[in-house]
Amino acid sequence: MVRLLDGVKVFELGIAIASPNAGRLLAHHGADVYKIESPTSPDIVRLIGSAWLHDNEELAPVVPDSSPYVSEMNADKKSVALDLKTPEGQRAARALLAQCDVFLANIGARALGDIGLDYASVTELNPDIVYVQLPGFGSDPAAPYFPYVAWGPNQAPLVGIDDLTGHAGREPAGIATVAPPDYLSSLHAAFCVLTGLEERERTGQGVHVDISQFETTVSLLLGPFAMDHALTGRAQSRIGNRSLWYAPEGVYPCQGEERWIAISVADDKQWAALLTVAPPEWGRDERFADGESRLANVEALDEVIAAWTLGFTNNDLATRLQGVGVAAHIVATNEDLLHDPHVMDSNWYQVRPNSRFRRDVFSGYGIHLSETPGAWERAGPSMGEHTVDVLTDVAGLEPDDVQGLVEGGTAFAMNRPDLQVNRPYEDWLHVLFPQEAADTRDLP
Amino acid sequence: MSQPFEGVKVVDLSGLAGAYATRLLAALGADVVKVEPPDGNPLRRMAPFIEGVPGSEASLWWAYLAMGSRSVVIDIDKDDDRAELEALLAQADVVVDDHGTGVLDGHGLGYERVSEVNPGVVWVSITPFGLRGPKRDWQSSNLVAWAASGVLYTVGFDDQPPVVPGGPAQMGMQAMALNAAVGAVLGLRGRRLIGRGQLVDLSLAEACLAFAPETGVPVFLDDQVHRVRSGNRRTLSRPFGIYPCSDGYVSILVLMPRHWEAMAQWVHEVCGNESIIDPVFADMTVRGQTMELVDSWVEELTTSMTLLEVFQEAQRRGIPITPVNTIETLRRDPHLEAVGFWEEVELPVGGSATIPGPPFRTNADWWQLGRAPRLGEHNADVLDH
Repeated sequence: MVRLLDGVKVFELGIAIASPNAGRLLAHHGADVYKIESPTSPDIVRLIGSAWLHDNEELAPVVPDSSPYVSEMNADKKSVALDLKTPEGQRAARALLAQCDVFLANIGARALGDIGLDYASVTELNPDIVYVQLPGFGSDPAAPYFPYVAWGPNQAPLVGIDDLTGHAGREPAGIATVAPPDYLSSLHAAFCVLTGLEERERTGQGVHVDISQFETTVSLLLGPFAMDHALTGRAQSRIGNRSLWYAPEGVYPCQGEERWIAISVADDKQWAALLTVAPPEWGRDERFADGESRLANVEALDEVIAAWTLGFTNNDLATRLQGVGVAAHIVATNEDLLHDPHVMDSNWYQVRPNSRFRRDVFSGYGIHLSETPGAWERAGPSMGEHTVDVLTDVAGLEPDDVQGLVEGGTAFAMNRPDLQVNRPYEDWLHVLFPQEAADTRDLP
Repeated sequence: MSQPFEGVKVVDLSGLAGAYATRLLAALGADVVKVEPPDGNPLRRMAPFIEGVPGSEASLWWAYLAMGSRSVVIDIDKDDDRAELEALLAQADVVVDDHGTGVLDGHGLGYERVSEVNPGVVWVSITPFGLRGPKRDWQSSNLVAWAASGVLYTVGFDDQPPVVPGGPAQMGMQAMALNAAVGAVLGLRGRRLIGRGQLVDLSLAEACLAFAPETGVPVFLDDQVHRVRSGNRRTLSRPFGIYPCSDGYVSILVLMPRHWEAMAQWVHEVCGNESIIDPVFADMTVRGQTMELVDSWVEELTTSMTLLEVFQEAQRRGIPITPVNTIETLRRDPHLEAVGFWEEVELPVGGSATIPGPPFRTNADWWQLGRAPRLGEHNADVLDH
């Protein structure tokens, strides 16, 4: 089976999500993605560790490999640990970079310059590289916010997503739990890497792509509202779960504590479908007769729906509504996802070998190609797991040289490879995956 | 300088779920033909509308997302029209389709049929829950997909129902379209490598599920913590989250010791607060345990200043604080202004409006994008040959 990126080598300086989530897509399709990192200046996922390892001194060496995000964001990558603040570390990085097709990074533009990995310096070494960077505010030093600091959770507020999230008349709810701009930027980065590779195939030339997360997310999400503001002065803000275009659309309570259902009825056809299972008086109520009147009377409509949904469990009601063609789903908790037959049937959660935990769980990918599908081979790498092999076999350094770098503390091999532990869930993976087959889920 | 997708023919049969994908492809040189039913693409019915413009040409969603494409009107229920569509699909390099599982197959125009005459076609299929699995026939929406992903449950205040991330910006649908763009390029690469096209199976459900690692199953399995909604501040430590200022809100993220030191010093200087510089608060766990107190001190500072004042002074002091921008504050943001982000675009029926610039910049002039087409504007150009 052909894998689309067989033979493509990616040099990735990624932190947290924005770059790593793009790198893992490339790895999924067969690219060799080298995660360049360092215990002296680690990716945040190496710092946070697993909660159950805290205060366990004996297992302290395991911590950098233990965060679930290591595999979530870095499955199938190779970890090459180098101290890029030292000339020796930089020399090794440059030897590897000279062999690579793609440069991918979301560390700050200024920091990249400081370690000699800005676009101009990299092209001296590798003129036709596809160079994609995702700095928070772009890579132009003359731009006002160039030196500013904005971490992942600052980005959604910055680009207007938090103002649009929440109930009307209340303060913005924001999105405290996930960082959407990181994922949206990562998809743009993947698109640009793939486009850059095809373009290089055609023209023989590389490219420099600058993805300012600020600009990217505004460009993706706010076009129509920005135009409306320019034309009329109106500034669209949060409206809860309601739709600008139709009603009802909302999250309604069901039987039980914190059990909710989401329902969308986009047109008259779906309204008619809803009426086949809803109280008959809704169909006789003039306030709900057509799309326009339902929008005009959305408050009253939401009230009667919320009173009705309380009579059901959310799972029963979702199944019943979908049975007649109405868009509805339980508002799933993380535990609900474990029992979601569709999510489980799709193998969304993957289990693959891991050097620290024997095997690890991570999320799959949502782009399914019929002829050239991606594949997952391994979970995330332990810090430095591939340093020696990659510097020797790919970067072409002499074994003695590599040994010297490791002994000199500018390159790092995997810490205590003998120290292997089980995650807490190890004993009940079979519960997680009841259809466990003789495939990679049932690893030795 | 040529553009990456010059010569690539894209037939767009989709609405919002695929629009941003074909916008990207068009911007990078592809010839995108949007096939619209007689009453127009669903985007044309999405408010906000341009005032004083006839119905089908008034939507700003259309004016923005259909930029760079051509429009033809085809009534799939008419035999002659269907033949025209068949001819278009037979020559397409990429098709983007969000009709739902099996709908086009029912018209003899699905991937199976088209790939027989056009084996090179990259067919990007967008459905609510994908082409396989127990929920393959289920319906969806932006809200419903977020509900299924596990993310919706964790967003909002605990005294109100969970609330959809991104609200009317339809972030899940836009993420869906971005996945479609990536899928299309993967498919084109595949065609170069194996000499034929393929089916790219995408779902809105998985597009949203892909945002879930921070609230998802692998994290849950590891720490067995149920992620719940906790309003707009995190419980981990403080200040962390959204804080009011005199004319809006700012996002504050203070975890690192150096950031706290700078924050405490600032509050001390401005408000004369002696307690906040007590070393006991240097411990982020202590600040988590005394969150109401810490928050009240920080709010005393932030509410005494405007959004821009808090933002710029915080950044001068090296503290990660950003505005909670609204559409209005974004439109006058000094950085976006200085980098020339905002552009002017012609509207389909005349006049112009300000739009956000490209989502990325390249040193190779990849990006070039004209206005959105009027309904059926290119019938004669496209359908006559």
